[in-house]
Amino acid sequence: MFPQFGATADTLSKASTMVFRIGTDAHLYDDPDDVSIAPLLDSKFDSEKCEALKRLLALIAQGIDVSNYFPQVVKNVASQSLEVKKLVYLYLLHYAEKRPNEALLSINYFQKDLGDPNPLVRAWALRTMAGIRLHVIAPLVLVAVGKCARDPSVYVRKCAANALPKLHDLRQEEHALAIEEIVGKLLNDHSPAVVGAAAAAFASVCPYNLSLIRRNYRKLCEILPDVEEWGQIALIGILLRYVIASHGLVKESIMFSLQCTESSHSVKDGSDADFGQVKESTDMGGTCDYEFVNMVSRCYIEGPDEYLSRSSYANRESFQLTDEQFTSGKSNDDVKILLYSTSPLLWSNNSAVVLAAAGVHWVMAPKEDVKRIIKPLLFLLRSSNASKYVVLCNIQVFAKAMPSLFAPYYEDFFICSSESYQVKALKLEILSSIATDSSISSIFKEFQDYIRDPDRRFAADTIAAIGLCAQRLPKMAHICVDGLLALTREEFVTKDFGFGDQEAGILTHAILSIKSIIKQDPPSHEKVIIQLVRSLDSIKVPAARAMIIWMVGEYSTLGEIIPRMLNTVLKYLAWCFTSEALETKLQILNTVCKVLVGATEDVWTFKKIFSYLVELAECDLNYDVRDRVRFLKKLQSSNLVSIGQEEGTNDLPEKDLLHVVAECILGRQTRKVKAESFSYRFYLPGSLSQIVLHAAPGYEPLPKPCSLLLDDRNVPEGTSEIKKTVADYSGTDDYGTSSEGSDDESASDYDSQHSVAESSGSGRGDDSEFTSEGNDNADPLIQISDFGNASENQNGVSQSGPANLGELMSDRALESWLDEQSGSSNPGISEQSQVRISSARISLGDVGKRVKPKCYSLLDPATSGNGLKVDYSFSSEISSMSHLLVCIEVFFKNCSSETISEITLVDEDSNRALDAADKAADVNQSSLASSDNVPTLVPMESIASLEPDQTARRILHVRFHHHLLPLKLALYCDGKKLPVKLRPDIGYFVKPLPMDVEVFIDRESRLPGMFEYTRSCAFTDHIEELNKENGDSLFVKDKFLAICESLALKILSNANLCLVSIDMPVAANLDDASGLRLRFSSEILSSSIPCLITITVEGKCSDPLNLSIKVNCEETVFGLNLLNRIANFLVEPTLG
Amino acid sequence: MPPLMGIEFLCRVSDVLSDYLGGLNEDVIKDNFVIVYELLDEMIDNGFPLTTEPNILREMIAPPNIVSKVLSVVTGNSSNVSDTLPGATGSCIPWRAADPKYANNEVYVDLVEEMDAVINRDGALVKCEVYGEVRVNSHLSGLPDLTLSFANPSILDDVRFHPCVRFRPWESHQILSFVPPDGEFKLMSYRVKKLKSTPIYVKPQLSSDAGKCRVNVLVGIRNDHGKTIDSITLQFQLPPCILSADLTSNTGTVNILGNKTCSWSIGRIPKDKTPSLSGTLVLESELERLHVFPTFRVGFKIMGVALSGLQIDKLDLKTAPSRLYKGFRALTRAGEFEVRS
Repeated sequence: MFPQFGATADTLSKASTMVFRIGTDAHLYDDPDDVSIAPLLDSKFDSEKCEALKRLLALIAQGIDVSNYFPQVVKNVASQSLEVKKLVYLYLLHYAEKRPNEALLSINYFQKDLGDPNPLVRAWALRTMAGIRLHVIAPLVLVAVGKCARDPSVYVRKCAANALPKLHDLRQEEHALAIEEIVGKLLNDHSPAVVGAAAAAFASVCPYNLSLIRRNYRKLCEILPDVEEWGQIALIGILLRYVIASHGLVKESIMFSLQCTESSHSVKDGSDADFGQVKESTDMGGTCDYEFVNMVSRCYIEGPDEYLSRSSYANRESFQLTDEQFTSGKSNDDVKILLYSTSPLLWSNNSAVVLAAAGVHWVMAPKEDVKRIIKPLLFLLRSSNASKYVVLCNIQVFAKAMPSLFAPYYEDFFICSSESYQVKALKLEILSSIATDSSISSIFKEFQDYIRDPDRRFAADTIAAIGLCAQRLPKMAHICVDGLLALTREEFVTKDFGFGDQEAGILTHAILSIKSIIKQDPPSHEKVIIQLVRSLDSIKVPAARAMIIWMVGEYSTLGEIIPRMLNTVLKYLAWCFTSEALETKLQILNTVCKVLVGATEDVWTFKKIFSYLVELAECDLNYDVRDRVRFLKKLQSSNLVSIGQEEGTNDLPEKDLLHVVAECILGRQTRKVKAESFSYRFYLPGSLSQIVLHAAPGYEPLPKPCSLLLDDRNVPEGTSEIKKTVADYSGTDDYGTSSEGSDDESASDYDSQHSVAESSGSGRGDDSEFTSEGNDNADPLIQISDFGNASENQNGVSQSGPANLGELMSDRALESWLDEQSGSSNPGISEQSQVRISSARISLGDVGKRVKPKCYSLLDPATSGNGLKVDYSFSSEISSMSHLLVCIEVFFKNCSSETISEITLVDEDSNRALDAADKAADVNQSSLASSDNVPTLVPMESIASLEPDQTARRILHVRFHHHLLPLKLALYCDGKKLPVKLRPDIGYFVKPLPMDVEVFIDRESRLPGMFEYTRSCAFTDHIEELNKENGDSLFVKDKFLAICESLALKILSNANLCLVSIDMPVAANLDDASGLRLRFSSEILSSSIPCLITITVEGKCSDPLNLSIKVNCEETVFGLNLLNRIANFLVEPTLG
Repeated sequence: MPPLMGIEFLCRVSDVLSDYLGGLNEDVIKDNFVIVYELLDEMIDNGFPLTTEPNILREMIAPPNIVSKVLSVVTGNSSNVSDTLPGATGSCIPWRAADPKYANNEVYVDLVEEMDAVINRDGALVKCEVYGEVRVNSHLSGLPDLTLSFANPSILDDVRFHPCVRFRPWESHQILSFVPPDGEFKLMSYRVKKLKSTPIYVKPQLSSDAGKCRVNVLVGIRNDHGKTIDSITLQFQLPPCILSADLTSNTGTVNILGNKTCSWSIGRIPKDKTPSLSGTLVLESELERLHVFPTFRVGFKIMGVALSGLQIDKLDLKTAPSRLYKGFRALTRAGEFEVRS
C-alpha cells in the first residue's frame, strides 16, 4: 500500500507540473527525440509535421546539429499550414548556408508562395528566400524583391525593404545598381512603415547616394513623425547627412561658433582650466584651450584617415571650413524643416529616437535652440542602467562643449547608490565640468557625502573630481584644498589598518588633486605645501609620498619658509631613504638633485646629503635606482664642476641647462601617476563609436559640408586636386552658396600658376619681340594659352551647375563656359598683339557660339515614327546623377497633325534600370569597373503629350560602358513600341579636364611609347572660312586664327574636351601654318583617367592642311578609339 | 547601429516575452521555446526590428493563455500562428489592432508615480522629483479618438509619449489627443521636479567608537495625505568593514542577508509608536571608527494619490459610443528614494 501511495504521490506531483505546463511545448523541449522524427515529417497531418518540426527546433536550441533532416524538411515548404511553413522557414534559415544544394530545392516553392494571395505568405517567403544567402539565387531574389516592392500590401513592401540589405550583404556588384534603385523606389513609398524600413536599407546599402534623398527630402521630413520608431532612427541620421552634404553646416549652430569665434570662446566658457592638464602634457603647445569644442565639431566631420594625418602633422589648419560651407538656419528651409520635424521626436518613448533627434539638434540647431534637447536627454537618464550609461557618454561631450547648457541641471547628475560604478564615474566627470560658482557649493556638499561611500573606488574618483572643480573655478581652490588636506589627515587614521589599495588610492588622489590645484597658483598655497611636508611622516602610501617629495623639489625656492625647511626635510628624506619604496626612492633622488641645482645657500649641506644618498643608492637592490643615481651623479658632477669653477658668478646658461634637464626628469615622474582620461577623438552623438571611443566598424563621420554635388558627379573621396576643381562647386538651387574649402586652396593654386604663367608668358612675349624683329627661326612659339583657364572654368562649371538641375539649356551652359574661356584668353592674346599686330585677336567666343553638337536622327517621322521626329545630340553637360552617365539631349518633334501622347524612351531589356536617378555614383570605383558591361539607360521622364509641331527636349542619361555598338532602345508613344538605336559617340565618353600647359606637357611626357598613338588626316574646313573672310579687310595674321578657330570649333562640337592651349609658329612665311599646335585635355568619364590630345598642323593656310593627331592615354583601347573618332570627324565636312 | 537602439530593442523583446509568458526566466523560455522562436523571428529581421508592436504580435502569434492551452489539449491542434496578416500592419496606426468589438466600452487611466529623492547626511532634501506614467487600459470598440487633458499641465517638467499621441495638440494646448492601442499601455511618462517634501522621513544615526557602531533609525510620516502609506521598507548595505551586526526593531521584521544587505520591512506605520531600528555593529579589529557610511533605500506605496499633484481634468471620446465607462486611479511608489547617513 505504502509504496503504491508513494508512487501515486510521485505521479501526482508530476501531474501537477504537467497541468501547469500543459499547452506549452515543454515536453518537446525536454525529450525532443523520444519519438522518431523522420516519419512524422513525412506524415500527411499538419499537426504531426508541426510536432516534428518543433522537436527539431528544440534540438537546434539545445545545440544539436540536425541538418541531416534537411531534405525532408525542405519538402514541407509546400505545406499549406502557416505554422508548418513558419517552422520550416526557421529551420531553413538555420541550415541553408550549410546545405546550399538542398536549399535550392526550396526555391520553387518560394517562387510559388510569392504569388500567394495571402500577404503574410508572400512576406514570409520573401524574407526566407532573401535570408538564405546563397549567391546562386541572388538574381532570383532580386527579381522577387523588385516584385514585392510593388506589392499592394504594406507589410510585404516593408519586408522587401528589409530584404535589400541581405542581398547587399552578398556583395554582388552587378546587383548594386538595381538594389539602389529599389531603395529609391521604396523611399518614395507613401506608407510610413515602408519608408522606415527603406531608410534602414538605405543606410546599409548605399549611405553615400544622397541624391536619392534629394528627390523626396521634404516628403521624408514630413513623414518622419509617422514612421515607426526604428525607422525613425535610421531616417534621422540620413536626413542629417543629406542636409549637411547639400547645404553645409548651420551658421547659428554650435558647429559654426566654434570654428570662428575661437578666441572669444576660450575666454567665455573658461573650459580651458578644465584641460589644464592636457595642456601641459600634450605637445600641441597650449593650443587646446578653446580646442575642445572645435575639435568635437571637426571630429564629427572628418574620417579616421584625416584625423590620423592631422594629428601626425599636428597641423590644425589642414581642415578649415570656409564661410561658404555654412548656411543660415534661419533662412534655409531644408534645415528648418528638419529641425521642425525632429523636435517632436524629442518626446518619443524610444530613447534611441530621442538621442538621434537630439544629435540632429546638437549639430544643426541654432545655439539658442540647442537647449531644448537638454530636458529630453536628462529624462532618458530615468531608464535602464545600460541606456543610462550610453546617454551619459553623450551628455558628457555636450556638457564639456557647452557647460552652460547643463549647468542649471546639476541636480540630475547627483548620484544614487544603486547605480553602477561606470555611471557614477561619468556623472562625476560631468558634474565637475558643469560646476559653476553658484552651484559649486551644493555640488561640494554632495561630494562630501560621496567620499564616505562604501565604494572606495568611487570615493577616490570623487576626490579627483573635486580637484577638477577647483581647477575650473579658482575661487573655490582654497576651500577645496582645505577639505582635501583635512581628508589626508583623516585618512591617516585608517591608513595603518591597511584596507589595501582602495584607501591608498583615496590618499593618492587627494594629494594629486592638491598638487594640481597648487600648480595653478603656487605662491598662494605655500602653507599647504608646508603642511603636506609636515605630514610626510604620517603618510605611508608610496605614491602619495612621492608626490609630496616631488612638490618639495618643485617648489623648493617658493616663498620664504620652504627654502629654510629644505635642510631638515632633505636630511629626513636621506635618513629614511633605505626604508622607502622604489617610487619614493627615485623621487627622493630627483628632488635632492633638483634642490641642489636650484640651491643658492646651504649648498654644501645639500651636496653632502646628495653624496650620502648616492652612496646608498649605488648599493640599492633595484637596478632602476642604481641607474638613476648614476645618471644624476654624472649630471651633478658637471654641475658641481661648473659651480666650483665659477662660484658666485652664477653662470646662467649653464644653470638653465641643468634646470631643463632636471625638469625633464621630473616631468616624466609626474606623468606616471596622472590619470589621463581625456580622449582627443569624438564621434557622432548616439553612435557606438562614441561609447567605445574608437571607430567602430561601420562608423561614418558626417559628410563634408556641401559635398553632395561633388560626390554626385565625380568620384567620391580622395579625388585628386584637379578633379576636385572641376567638380567643386556647390551651387545649390536656392541659396547659391558655392565653393568649398578646397576651392580656396585650388584657386590660390591656380592664382600662383596664373602669375607664373603670366610672367613666363610675358617673358616669351619679350622673346617673341626679339624673334619677330629678325629671327627667322620658327621654333620659339607664342603660347596662346588661356591662363586663367582653370579658375575660370570653375566659374563656368558652377554656372553650369544649375544647368544640371535642368534650369539652363545645355547650349547656353557650354557657351558661357567657352565665353569665359575666351575672355580669359584675351589678355594673353592682346599682350601678344601688342607685340605684333595690334588688331589681331582670337575670339574664341565666336567659336563658342558656333559650337553646335552634331545632331543625329533617332527616329524618322516619315518612315517609322508616325509623324514623330526624334533627334539627339550629345551634350557636353556632365550628368548630375553620376559621373558614369553621358548626357544626351533628345529633341522630340511632332511632325504629324495629331497629338502624340505618352512618349517615353526606355532601355529595350527593361527589367534593368527602371527608375531614373537611382543610379548615382557608386562609391566604389572598382565595383564599377567590374560591374557588367551592358549599357544602361536612366529613363527620361515621359512626355505626356505633344501637340502637332510642338517640340520637346529631354536629357537622357546613358551609361555606355564604353560600348561602341549602337544601343537598342524602345520608344513608346501612343502605347506603341518603336525600336530605335542610339549610336554612342566616344567623343562624349570623356569630360573636360582643365589644366594648364605645364601640367599638360608634364603629363604628356609621362605617357610615352605605348600610351601614345598618332594618326594624321586632312582638314579642309578652314578654307571655306578663309574664303569667307577674304572679303573683309583683315590682316593676314587672321588666317592662323581662322584655322585655330575652325579646328577648335570642329573638335569641340564633336567631343567633350577642354582646350588647353594653342601654340602658334612665329614664322616668316605667314601663309605657312606648319607648327600650329592645339592641345586638348579630357578625362575618361568612368575611370577618370586623363586623356590628352595634341593636334599639330602642317601645310599652307589656304590649302587643305595635314593634321597629325596624337592621343596620350593610359587606356590603350579607349585612346585608339578616340583617336579614330577624332580623325574621322575632322575629315568629315561640316554640315550647314 | 546606435547602441541605444540595441538596448531599447532588447528591452522591448523582454517586455513582449514577459507579457506573453507571464515572466521571464530560463524555465519559462524553455517551456515555450517555439513561441519564443516565432516571436523573435517576427520581431527582428536581418538585425533590424520588424514588428515590435505588442498588439500586432498578439494577432500574429497567439499568446499561450489558458483558453488556448485547454483548446490545444482538447482538440490536439496547437497552432498559435495566425493565418492572416493583421490589418494594422498596413494602417497608419500600426499600434491598434483592427476593429475590436466590446460589449462594454471602458477606459481606465492610472497615474503611477515613483518618487525619487535624495536626503543627504545633514537631513536636507537634496533632490526630490517624481517620475510618473499615465497608464491607460482601453477596451473600446472601433476606432476611438480620445483626448485627455490635465488640470495642471504646467507642473510637468518633461514628457515622453507613446507613438499614438499626436504631437501638435500637445505643443499648442497641452492636450493629449490619441487613438489608443487596445488593452493596457503606457500613454506617456512625465517628470515633475523640485518637489518640496517627502511623505515619510527616515532619520538614521550612526555613531562609532572603540570598534563598535551604534545604529538608530527612526521612520515616520512627515505630512498626512489622508491616505495610508503601505509596505514601507528600508534596505541598506552594511559596509564591508563590519564583522557582525545585531539589529532589532520595535515594529516589523529585520533581516540580514548573506551579502550584508539588511532589510527592514515595516509595512504600515502604527498609530501609537514611531518605528525604530536600533542595534550595534561590530567593526573589524583594529578599526576604531566607521569611515564609510551606508545609504538607506526606502520603499513605500501610497494608493489613491499622485504625489506630484498632477490631476487629470477630463477624458473625452470624440466618436462617442453609447456608453463609455471611465475610471481613474492613482498610485505613488518610492523610486530611488535614498537617505544617506
